[in-house]
Amino acid sequence: MIGNSAQNTQQKLQTFEAQALGFADQLFRVALRLCRDRAKAEDLVQETYLQSWRSFHRFELGTNLRAWLYKIMFNVHYSNQRKDRLHLVPVEETIAETLAYDPPTPQRLTEAEVLAALERLPRDFQIPIVLSDVEELSYREIADVMEIPIGTVMSRLHRGRKILRTELVNYARESGYNVSTRTKRGE
Amino acid sequence: MECRNFKELLDSYLCQELAVETNHQLLNHAEHCPPCRAEMTSRRNMRESLRRACSQDRLSEEACERLRARLRAEISASESLIGRRQRWTSLFDLRFAIPITVTAAVLIVAAVVMLPFLKSQTTPVQSFELSDTLLSEAVSDHHKCAPKFIQATRSAVMPSTVEPAYVGLEKVAASGAEGLRLHSAHVCAPDGRRFAHLVYTRDGSLISLLVTERDKRALKIGNLPSDDVSLAGLQEANLSNLSLGAFQTPKHIILVVSDLPTDENHKLAQTLASPVVEHIRKLDGQSVAASPQYRFDDGLTVLIASLKKGER
Repeated sequence: MIGNSAQNTQQKLQTFEAQALGFADQLFRVALRLCRDRAKAEDLVQETYLQSWRSFHRFELGTNLRAWLYKIMFNVHYSNQRKDRLHLVPVEETIAETLAYDPPTPQRLTEAEVLAALERLPRDFQIPIVLSDVEELSYREIADVMEIPIGTVMSRLHRGRKILRTELVNYARESGYNVSTRTKRGE
Repeated sequence: MECRNFKELLDSYLCQELAVETNHQLLNHAEHCPPCRAEMTSRRNMRESLRRACSQDRLSEEACERLRARLRAEISASESLIGRRQRWTSLFDLRFAIPITVTAAVLIVAAVVMLPFLKSQTTPVQSFELSDTLLSEAVSDHHKCAPKFIQATRSAVMPSTVEPAYVGLEKVAASGAEGLRLHSAHVCAPDGRRFAHLVYTRDGSLISLLVTERDKRALKIGNLPSDDVSLAGLQEANLSNLSLGAFQTPKHIILVVSDLPTDENHKLAQTLASPVVEHIRKLDGQSVAASPQYRFDDGLTVLIASLKKGER
Protein backbone atom coordinates (compact mmCIF):
# COMPACT_ATOMS: atom_id res chain seq x y z
CA MET A 1 0.00 0.00 0.00
CA ILE A 2 2.85 2.34 0.84
CA GLY A 3 4.64 1.34 -2.32
CA ASN A 4 1.50 2.03 -4.29
CA SER A 5 1.07 5.52 -2.96
CA ALA A 6 4.75 6.26 -3.59
CA GLN A 7 4.21 5.11 -7.12
CA ASN A 8 1.10 7.29 -7.28
CA THR A 9 3.09 10.28 -6.09
CA GLN A 10 5.79 9.66 -8.67
CA GLN A 11 3.12 9.34 -11.30
CA LYS A 12 1.40 12.50 -10.12
CA LEU A 13 4.69 14.33 -10.06
CA GLN A 14 5.36 13.45 -13.67
CA THR A 15 1.80 14.31 -14.63
CA PHE A 16 2.04 17.63 -12.91
CA GLU A 17 5.28 18.60 -14.60
CA ALA A 18 4.24 17.34 -18.00
CA GLN A 19 0.67 18.57 -18.06
CA ALA A 20 0.14 21.39 -15.61
CA LEU A 21 3.06 23.49 -16.82
CA GLY A 22 1.62 23.31 -20.31
CA PHE A 23 -1.22 25.56 -19.17
CA ALA A 24 1.09 28.33 -17.99
CA ASP A 25 0.31 30.61 -20.94
CA GLN A 26 -3.42 30.06 -20.63
CA LEU A 27 -3.33 30.79 -16.93
CA PHE A 28 -1.28 33.87 -17.63
CA ARG A 29 -3.85 35.20 -20.11
CA VAL A 30 -6.58 35.06 -17.51
CA ALA A 31 -4.18 36.32 -14.85
CA LEU A 32 -3.59 39.38 -17.00
CA ARG A 33 -7.35 40.07 -17.06
CA LEU A 34 -7.48 39.66 -13.30
CA CYS A 35 -4.42 41.73 -12.41
CA ARG A 36 -4.17 44.10 -15.38
CA ASP A 37 -0.44 44.09 -14.78
CA ARG A 38 2.14 41.77 -16.32
CA ALA A 39 4.38 41.47 -13.27
CA LYS A 40 1.45 40.85 -10.96
CA ALA A 41 0.03 38.33 -13.42
CA GLU A 42 3.34 36.46 -13.52
CA ASP A 43 3.41 36.34 -9.75
CA LEU A 44 -0.16 35.11 -9.70
CA VAL A 45 0.66 32.28 -12.11
CA GLN A 46 3.69 31.26 -10.09
CA GLU A 47 1.72 31.30 -6.86
CA THR A 48 -1.00 29.27 -8.56
CA TYR A 49 1.46 26.56 -9.56
CA LEU A 50 3.00 26.40 -6.12
CA GLN A 51 -0.41 26.16 -4.50
CA SER A 52 -1.62 23.57 -6.96
CA TRP A 53 1.49 21.46 -6.44
CA ARG A 54 0.97 21.57 -2.70
CA SER A 55 -2.60 20.34 -3.08
CA PHE A 56 -1.92 18.11 -6.07
CA HIS A 57 -2.43 15.03 -3.91
CA ARG A 58 -6.09 16.07 -3.77
CA PHE A 59 -6.38 16.31 -7.53
CA GLU A 60 -8.06 13.34 -9.12
CA LEU A 61 -6.23 12.23 -12.21
CA GLY A 62 -8.48 12.14 -15.21
CA THR A 63 -10.55 15.16 -14.23
CA ASN A 64 -10.12 18.55 -15.82
CA LEU A 65 -6.67 19.69 -14.78
CA ARG A 66 -6.95 23.04 -16.52
CA ALA A 67 -10.23 23.97 -14.81
CA TRP A 68 -8.72 22.85 -11.54
CA LEU A 69 -5.72 25.14 -12.09
CA TYR A 70 -7.99 28.06 -12.95
CA LYS A 71 -9.95 27.46 -9.79
CA ILE A 72 -6.80 27.57 -7.70
CA MET A 73 -5.71 30.73 -9.48
CA PHE A 74 -8.99 32.45 -8.71
CA ASN A 75 -8.72 31.32 -5.09
CA VAL A 76 -5.23 32.76 -4.85
CA HIS A 77 -6.39 35.94 -6.55
CA TYR A 78 -9.40 36.34 -4.28
CA SER A 79 -7.31 35.83 -1.16
CA ASN A 80 -4.70 38.28 -2.45
CA GLN A 81 -7.45 40.80 -2.96
CA ARG A 82 -8.64 40.27 0.58
CA LYS A 83 -5.07 40.71 1.81
CA ASP A 84 -4.67 43.91 -0.18
CA ARG A 85 -8.03 45.06 1.10
CA LEU A 86 -9.02 45.88 -2.42
CA HIS A 87 -12.63 45.64 -3.22
CA LEU A 88 -14.01 45.01 -6.63
CA VAL A 89 -16.26 47.71 -7.89
CA PRO A 90 -19.74 46.20 -7.94
CA VAL A 91 -20.87 45.22 -11.38
CA GLU A 92 -23.09 47.73 -12.97
CA GLU A 93 -25.87 45.32 -13.69
CA THR A 94 -27.82 47.99 -15.56
CA ILE A 95 -25.22 48.49 -18.29
CA ALA A 96 -26.34 45.66 -20.48
CA GLU A 97 -29.89 45.70 -19.19
CA THR A 98 -30.51 48.97 -20.93
CA LEU A 99 -28.92 47.80 -24.12
CA ALA A 100 -32.10 46.79 -25.82
CA TYR A 101 -30.48 47.19 -29.17
CA ASP A 102 -28.42 44.19 -30.20
CA PRO A 103 -26.45 45.34 -33.22
CA PRO A 104 -25.26 42.95 -35.91
CA THR A 105 -21.67 41.92 -35.40
CA PRO A 106 -19.27 43.64 -37.75
CA GLN A 107 -18.02 41.24 -40.34
CA ARG A 108 -14.49 42.47 -40.58
CA LEU A 109 -12.69 42.86 -37.31
CA THR A 110 -9.02 43.02 -36.56
CA GLU A 111 -7.67 41.24 -33.51
CA ALA A 112 -6.57 44.55 -32.12
CA GLU A 113 -10.07 45.95 -32.39
CA VAL A 114 -11.55 43.01 -30.58
CA LEU A 115 -8.91 43.18 -27.89
CA ALA A 116 -9.43 46.89 -27.41
CA ALA A 117 -13.17 46.37 -27.04
CA LEU A 118 -12.54 43.64 -24.51
CA GLU A 119 -10.24 45.86 -22.47
CA ARG A 120 -13.01 48.42 -22.11
CA LEU A 121 -15.40 45.92 -20.62
CA PRO A 122 -15.90 45.90 -16.84
CA ARG A 123 -13.76 43.13 -15.39
CA ASP A 124 -16.69 41.10 -14.16
CA PHE A 125 -17.92 40.83 -17.76
CA GLN A 126 -14.49 40.53 -19.28
CA ILE A 127 -13.37 37.50 -17.33
CA PRO A 128 -16.31 35.19 -18.09
CA ILE A 129 -15.96 36.08 -21.77
CA VAL A 130 -12.26 35.22 -21.75
CA LEU A 131 -12.93 31.98 -19.88
CA SER A 132 -15.68 31.05 -22.29
CA ASP A 133 -14.59 32.33 -25.71
CA VAL A 134 -10.84 32.15 -25.32
CA GLU A 135 -10.23 29.39 -22.81
CA GLU A 136 -13.34 27.48 -23.85
CA LEU A 137 -14.44 26.52 -20.38
CA SER A 138 -18.03 25.40 -20.04
CA TYR A 139 -20.52 27.62 -18.22
CA ARG A 140 -20.46 25.12 -15.38
CA GLU A 141 -16.68 25.23 -15.13
CA ILE A 142 -16.70 29.03 -15.16
CA ALA A 143 -19.20 29.05 -12.32
CA ASP A 144 -16.94 26.68 -10.33
CA VAL A 145 -13.78 28.62 -11.07
CA MET A 146 -15.24 32.04 -10.27
CA GLU A 147 -17.33 30.69 -7.41
CA ILE A 148 -20.48 32.35 -8.68
CA PRO A 149 -23.85 30.78 -9.63
CA ILE A 150 -24.13 29.44 -13.16
CA GLY A 151 -27.06 31.80 -13.78
CA THR A 152 -24.82 34.74 -12.98
CA VAL A 153 -22.23 33.37 -15.41
CA MET A 154 -24.83 33.16 -18.16
CA SER A 155 -26.23 36.63 -17.59
CA ARG A 156 -22.76 38.17 -17.41
CA LEU A 157 -21.76 36.45 -20.63
CA HIS A 158 -24.94 37.56 -22.33
CA ARG A 159 -24.60 41.16 -21.29
CA GLY A 160 -20.85 41.25 -21.76
CA ARG A 161 -21.06 40.00 -25.32
CA LYS A 162 -23.79 42.49 -26.10
CA ILE A 163 -21.62 45.34 -24.83
CA LEU A 164 -18.65 43.95 -26.72
CA ARG A 165 -20.60 43.86 -29.97
CA THR A 166 -21.89 47.38 -29.43
CA GLU A 167 -18.35 48.57 -28.87
CA LEU A 168 -17.15 46.83 -32.00
CA VAL A 169 -19.95 48.32 -34.04
CA ASN A 170 -18.89 51.72 -32.77
CA TYR A 171 -15.29 50.92 -33.75
CA ALA A 172 -16.40 49.87 -37.15
CA ARG A 173 -18.32 53.10 -37.59
CA GLU A 174 -15.38 55.16 -36.45
CA SER A 175 -12.90 53.16 -38.48
CA GLY A 176 -11.02 55.05 -41.10
CA TYR A 177 -9.96 57.78 -38.75
CA ASN A 178 -9.85 56.35 -35.27
CA VAL A 179 -8.96 52.69 -35.39
CA SER A 180 -5.20 53.14 -35.33
CA THR A 181 -5.16 55.12 -32.07
CA ARG A 182 -7.53 52.65 -30.47
CA THR A 183 -5.32 49.85 -31.62
CA LYS A 184 -2.41 51.45 -29.87
CA ARG A 185 -4.44 51.71 -26.70
CA GLY A 186 -5.37 48.09 -26.98
CA GLU A 187 -1.77 47.05 -26.91
CA MET B 1 -37.51 29.95 -34.37
CA GLU B 2 -37.50 33.71 -34.68
CA CYS B 3 -34.42 35.80 -35.47
CA ARG B 4 -34.57 37.35 -32.03
CA ASN B 5 -34.41 33.93 -30.36
CA PHE B 6 -31.66 32.91 -32.74
CA LYS B 7 -29.50 35.86 -31.70
CA GLU B 8 -30.16 35.19 -28.03
CA LEU B 9 -29.05 31.58 -28.32
CA LEU B 10 -26.29 32.02 -30.88
CA ASP B 11 -23.46 32.58 -28.40
CA SER B 12 -24.46 29.55 -26.35
CA TYR B 13 -24.59 27.56 -29.55
CA LEU B 14 -21.02 28.60 -30.38
CA CYS B 15 -20.00 27.61 -26.87
CA GLN B 16 -21.65 24.22 -27.37
CA GLU B 17 -23.81 24.78 -24.33
CA LEU B 18 -27.13 23.98 -25.99
CA ALA B 19 -29.06 20.74 -26.15
CA VAL B 20 -28.78 18.79 -29.40
CA GLU B 21 -32.41 19.55 -30.24
CA THR B 22 -31.91 23.30 -29.82
CA ASN B 23 -28.80 23.10 -31.98
CA HIS B 24 -30.88 21.63 -34.76
CA GLN B 25 -33.52 24.32 -34.45
CA LEU B 26 -30.82 26.97 -34.64
CA LEU B 27 -29.18 25.42 -37.69
CA ASN B 28 -32.57 25.06 -39.39
CA HIS B 29 -33.25 28.75 -38.85
CA ALA B 30 -29.81 29.78 -40.14
CA GLU B 31 -30.35 27.73 -43.25
CA HIS B 32 -33.45 29.70 -44.18
CA CYS B 33 -32.38 33.12 -42.86
CA PRO B 34 -29.36 34.72 -44.62
CA PRO B 35 -28.98 37.65 -42.14
CA CYS B 36 -28.84 35.22 -39.20
CA ARG B 37 -26.45 32.99 -41.08
CA ALA B 38 -24.25 36.03 -41.62
CA GLU B 39 -24.53 36.93 -37.94
CA MET B 40 -23.47 33.42 -37.02
CA THR B 41 -20.38 33.74 -39.21
CA SER B 42 -19.60 37.18 -37.83
CA ARG B 43 -19.83 36.06 -34.24
CA ARG B 44 -17.78 32.99 -34.94
CA ASN B 45 -15.16 35.20 -36.55
CA MET B 46 -15.27 37.56 -33.63
CA ARG B 47 -14.77 34.70 -31.29
CA GLU B 48 -11.81 33.52 -33.32
CA SER B 49 -10.37 37.02 -33.36
CA LEU B 50 -10.75 37.33 -29.64
CA ARG B 51 -9.03 34.00 -29.10
CA ARG B 52 -6.16 34.85 -31.39
CA ALA B 53 -5.80 38.30 -29.87
CA CYS B 54 -5.72 36.98 -26.36
CA SER B 55 -3.43 34.11 -27.28
CA GLN B 56 -0.75 36.61 -28.13
CA ASP B 57 -0.38 37.26 -24.45
CA ARG B 58 2.14 34.70 -23.35
CA LEU B 59 4.24 34.19 -20.34
CA SER B 60 7.69 35.54 -21.23
CA GLU B 61 10.56 33.05 -21.53
CA GLU B 62 12.16 34.66 -18.53
CA ALA B 63 9.01 34.37 -16.40
CA CYS B 64 8.55 30.81 -17.61
CA GLU B 65 12.08 29.86 -16.55
CA ARG B 66 11.58 31.52 -13.17
CA LEU B 67 8.38 29.56 -12.73
CA ARG B 68 10.02 26.23 -13.57
CA ALA B 69 12.96 26.87 -11.27
CA ARG B 70 10.68 27.89 -8.43
CA LEU B 71 8.49 24.87 -8.96
CA ARG B 72 11.41 22.45 -9.15
CA ALA B 73 12.76 23.82 -5.88
CA GLU B 74 9.35 23.44 -4.30
CA ILE B 75 8.90 19.90 -5.59
CA SER B 76 12.32 18.65 -4.47
CA ALA B 77 11.75 20.27 -1.09
CA SER B 78 8.34 18.69 -0.72
CA GLU B 79 9.38 15.26 -2.00
CA SER B 80 11.03 14.31 1.27
CA LEU B 81 8.11 15.82 3.13
CA ILE B 82 5.67 13.78 1.10
CA GLY B 83 7.62 10.61 1.82
CA ARG B 84 7.38 11.33 5.49
CA ARG B 85 3.73 12.30 5.35
CA GLN B 86 2.89 9.10 3.54
CA ARG B 87 4.45 6.95 6.19
CA TRP B 88 2.33 8.74 8.74
CA THR B 89 -0.86 8.66 6.77
CA SER B 90 -0.31 4.98 6.07
CA LEU B 91 -0.60 4.42 9.82
CA PHE B 92 -4.17 5.54 9.48
CA ASP B 93 -4.96 3.05 6.80
CA LEU B 94 -7.98 1.00 7.74
CA ARG B 95 -5.81 -2.08 7.91
CA PHE B 96 -3.77 -0.58 10.73
CA ALA B 97 -6.57 1.36 12.35
CA ILE B 98 -7.94 -1.53 14.44
CA PRO B 99 -4.60 -2.87 15.78
CA ILE B 100 -3.51 0.67 16.60
CA THR B 101 -6.77 1.42 18.38
CA VAL B 102 -6.57 -1.85 20.33
CA THR B 103 -2.94 -1.25 21.29
CA ALA B 104 -3.74 2.28 22.39
CA ALA B 105 -6.68 1.02 24.45
CA VAL B 106 -4.56 -1.69 26.09
CA LEU B 107 -1.84 0.82 26.92
CA ILE B 108 -4.37 3.19 28.46
CA VAL B 109 -5.95 0.43 30.53
CA ALA B 110 -2.51 -0.79 31.62
CA ALA B 111 -1.52 2.72 32.59
CA VAL B 112 -4.69 3.14 34.65
CA VAL B 113 -4.19 -0.23 36.34
CA MET B 114 -0.51 0.45 37.01
CA LEU B 115 -1.13 3.94 38.34
CA PRO B 116 -1.51 2.91 42.03
CA PHE B 117 1.64 0.80 41.76
CA LEU B 118 3.56 3.58 40.13
CA LYS B 119 2.36 5.93 42.83
CA SER B 120 3.33 3.50 45.59
CA GLN B 121 6.90 3.71 44.39
CA THR B 122 7.06 7.32 45.39
CA THR B 123 5.12 6.92 48.65
CA PRO B 124 5.65 3.28 49.49
CA VAL B 125 3.18 1.67 51.84
CA GLN B 126 4.28 -1.91 52.32
CA SER B 127 2.02 -4.47 53.86
CA PHE B 128 4.41 -4.87 56.77
CA GLU B 129 4.96 -1.17 57.42
CA LEU B 130 4.17 -0.25 61.00
CA SER B 131 1.64 2.40 61.78
CA ASP B 132 2.56 5.71 63.26
CA THR B 133 0.11 4.93 66.03
CA LEU B 134 2.02 1.82 67.05
CA LEU B 135 5.32 3.65 67.01
CA SER B 136 4.03 6.48 69.17
CA GLU B 137 2.35 3.98 71.52
CA ALA B 138 5.66 2.13 71.91
CA VAL B 139 7.54 5.39 72.52
CA SER B 140 4.86 6.51 74.96
CA ASP B 141 5.10 3.22 76.86
CA HIS B 142 8.86 3.53 77.02
CA HIS B 143 8.58 7.11 78.31
CA LYS B 144 5.83 6.49 80.85
CA CYS B 145 6.57 3.00 82.06
CA ALA B 146 10.27 2.21 81.76
CA PRO B 147 11.66 5.00 84.01
CA LYS B 148 9.55 3.72 86.90
CA PHE B 149 11.58 0.54 87.06
CA ILE B 150 15.10 1.95 86.95
CA GLN B 151 15.32 1.92 90.72
CA ALA B 152 13.50 -1.41 91.07
CA THR B 153 15.33 -3.90 93.17
CA ARG B 154 13.04 -6.90 93.21
CA SER B 155 13.67 -9.63 90.70
CA ALA B 156 12.23 -9.04 87.22
CA VAL B 157 10.12 -12.04 86.38
CA MET B 158 7.18 -12.04 84.00
CA PRO B 159 4.04 -13.06 85.89
CA SER B 160 2.62 -16.41 84.86
CA THR B 161 -0.83 -14.91 84.54
CA VAL B 162 -0.06 -13.02 81.34
CA GLU B 163 -0.68 -14.24 77.80
CA PRO B 164 1.07 -17.58 77.14
CA ALA B 165 3.29 -16.03 74.50
CA TYR B 166 4.70 -13.57 77.03
CA VAL B 167 5.28 -16.02 79.86
CA GLY B 168 9.01 -16.48 80.53
CA LEU B 169 9.86 -13.82 77.97
CA GLU B 170 12.71 -12.42 80.09
CA LYS B 171 14.35 -15.85 80.08
CA VAL B 172 14.07 -16.08 76.31
CA ALA B 173 15.53 -12.60 75.92
CA ALA B 174 18.37 -13.23 78.33
CA SER B 175 20.58 -14.91 75.73
CA GLY B 176 20.56 -11.77 73.63
CA ALA B 177 20.77 -9.37 76.53
CA GLU B 178 24.42 -9.67 77.40
CA GLY B 179 25.74 -6.53 79.03
CA LEU B 180 22.23 -5.34 79.74
CA ARG B 181 20.68 -5.11 83.15
CA LEU B 182 17.05 -6.19 83.35
CA HIS B 183 14.91 -4.07 85.62
CA SER B 184 11.44 -5.33 84.94
CA ALA B 185 9.36 -7.83 83.03
CA HIS B 186 5.68 -7.05 82.96
CA VAL B 187 2.68 -6.45 80.82
CA CYS B 188 1.36 -2.92 80.64
CA ALA B 189 -1.10 -0.84 78.68
CA PRO B 190 -0.62 2.86 79.44
CA ASP B 191 -2.35 4.05 76.26
CA GLY B 192 -4.66 1.12 75.71
CA ARG B 193 -2.32 -1.13 73.74
CA ARG B 194 -1.05 -4.11 75.70
CA PHE B 195 2.71 -4.57 75.66
CA ALA B 196 4.87 -7.24 77.19
CA HIS B 197 7.54 -4.94 78.54
CA LEU B 198 11.14 -5.81 79.45
CA VAL B 199 12.99 -2.81 80.86
CA TYR B 200 16.79 -2.78 80.53
CA THR B 201 19.58 -0.37 81.12
CA ARG B 202 23.09 -0.28 79.68
CA ASP B 203 25.64 2.35 80.61
CA GLY B 204 22.89 4.67 81.77
CA SER B 205 20.74 4.21 78.72
CA LEU B 206 17.17 3.08 79.19
CA ILE B 207 16.09 0.30 76.90
CA SER B 208 12.65 -1.24 76.40
CA LEU B 209 11.90 -4.48 74.68
CA LEU B 210 8.22 -4.49 73.82
CA VAL B 211 6.09 -7.25 72.40
CA THR B 212 2.59 -6.54 71.21
CA GLU B 213 -0.07 -8.07 69.09
CA ARG B 214 0.21 -7.58 65.37
CA ASP B 215 -3.25 -6.23 64.72
CA LYS B 216 -4.77 -3.95 62.15
CA ARG B 217 -3.97 -0.80 64.05
CA ALA B 218 -0.32 -1.77 64.24
CA LEU B 219 0.09 -1.69 60.48
CA LYS B 220 0.03 1.26 58.14
CA ILE B 221 -2.18 -0.40 55.56
CA GLY B 222 -4.91 -0.77 58.19
CA ASN B 223 -5.48 -4.49 57.77
CA LEU B 224 -3.68 -7.68 58.54
CA PRO B 225 -1.82 -9.05 55.55
CA SER B 226 -1.90 -12.73 54.82
CA ASP B 227 1.86 -12.77 54.22
CA ASP B 228 4.35 -14.63 56.39
CA VAL B 229 6.21 -11.39 57.20
CA SER B 230 9.30 -12.81 55.52
CA LEU B 231 9.73 -9.42 53.87
CA ALA B 232 9.79 -7.61 57.19
CA GLY B 233 13.22 -7.65 58.70
CA LEU B 234 14.36 -5.05 61.16
CA GLN B 235 12.42 -1.86 60.81
CA GLU B 236 13.72 1.30 62.31
CA ALA B 237 12.37 4.68 63.24
CA ASN B 238 13.36 7.72 65.20
CA LEU B 239 10.67 9.30 67.28
CA SER B 240 10.71 11.75 70.21
CA ASN B 241 14.50 11.53 70.48
CA LEU B 242 14.23 7.77 70.73
CA SER B 243 15.38 5.07 68.37
CA LEU B 244 13.05 2.26 67.52
CA GLY B 245 13.81 -1.11 65.97
CA ALA B 246 11.00 -3.50 65.16
CA PHE B 247 10.56 -7.08 64.01
CA GLN B 248 7.38 -8.78 62.96
CA THR B 249 6.13 -12.30 63.34
CA PRO B 250 2.80 -13.43 61.93
CA LYS B 251 0.96 -12.44 65.11
CA HIS B 252 3.32 -10.22 67.04
CA ILE B 253 5.53 -7.18 66.78
CA ILE B 254 8.73 -7.00 68.80
CA LEU B 255 10.14 -3.53 69.37
CA VAL B 256 13.35 -2.30 70.89
CA VAL B 257 13.08 1.31 72.03
CA SER B 258 16.02 3.24 73.47
CA ASP B 259 17.64 6.63 73.74
CA LEU B 260 20.70 5.20 71.99
CA PRO B 261 21.83 6.55 68.64
CA THR B 262 20.26 4.89 65.63
CA ASP B 263 23.22 2.70 64.71
CA GLU B 264 23.72 1.48 68.28
CA ASN B 265 20.03 0.77 68.67
CA HIS B 266 20.24 -1.07 65.35
CA LYS B 267 22.89 -3.45 66.69
CA LEU B 268 21.15 -3.82 70.02
CA ALA B 269 17.82 -4.52 68.41
CA GLN B 270 19.32 -7.37 66.42
CA THR B 271 21.02 -9.06 69.34
CA LEU B 272 18.38 -8.40 71.97
CA ALA B 273 15.32 -9.14 69.86
CA SER B 274 16.65 -12.14 67.97
CA PRO B 275 15.91 -14.85 70.52
CA VAL B 276 12.54 -13.27 71.36
CA VAL B 277 11.54 -13.14 67.69
CA GLU B 278 12.61 -16.75 67.24
CA HIS B 279 10.58 -17.74 70.25
CA ILE B 280 7.46 -15.80 69.33
CA ARG B 281 7.66 -16.98 65.75
CA LYS B 282 7.69 -20.56 66.89
CA LEU B 283 4.66 -19.95 69.04
CA ASP B 284 2.87 -18.17 66.19
CA GLY B 285 3.90 -20.97 63.85
CA GLN B 286 2.11 -23.54 65.99
CA SER B 287 -1.18 -21.95 65.08
CA VAL B 288 -0.17 -20.76 61.64
CA ALA B 289 0.53 -23.77 59.47
CA ALA B 290 3.32 -23.87 56.96
CA SER B 291 5.06 -20.79 58.19
CA PRO B 292 8.39 -20.63 56.39
CA GLN B 293 11.60 -20.40 58.32
CA TYR B 294 12.36 -16.82 59.12
CA ARG B 295 15.95 -15.79 58.95
CA PHE B 296 17.17 -12.50 60.26
CA ASP B 297 19.97 -11.84 57.90
CA ASP B 298 17.84 -12.42 54.85
CA GLY B 299 16.11 -9.47 53.36
CA LEU B 300 16.93 -7.16 56.17
CA THR B 301 14.81 -4.18 55.47
CA VAL B 302 15.49 -0.89 57.00
CA LEU B 303 12.73 1.60 56.84
CA ILE B 304 13.31 4.96 58.31
CA ALA B 305 9.99 6.43 59.21
CA SER B 306 9.66 9.92 57.96
CA LEU B 307 7.53 10.68 60.98
CA LYS B 308 8.72 13.77 62.84
CA LYS B 309 11.75 14.04 60.66
CA GLY B 310 14.77 15.74 62.04
CA GLU B 311 13.51 15.56 65.58
CA ARG B 312 16.47 13.56 66.61
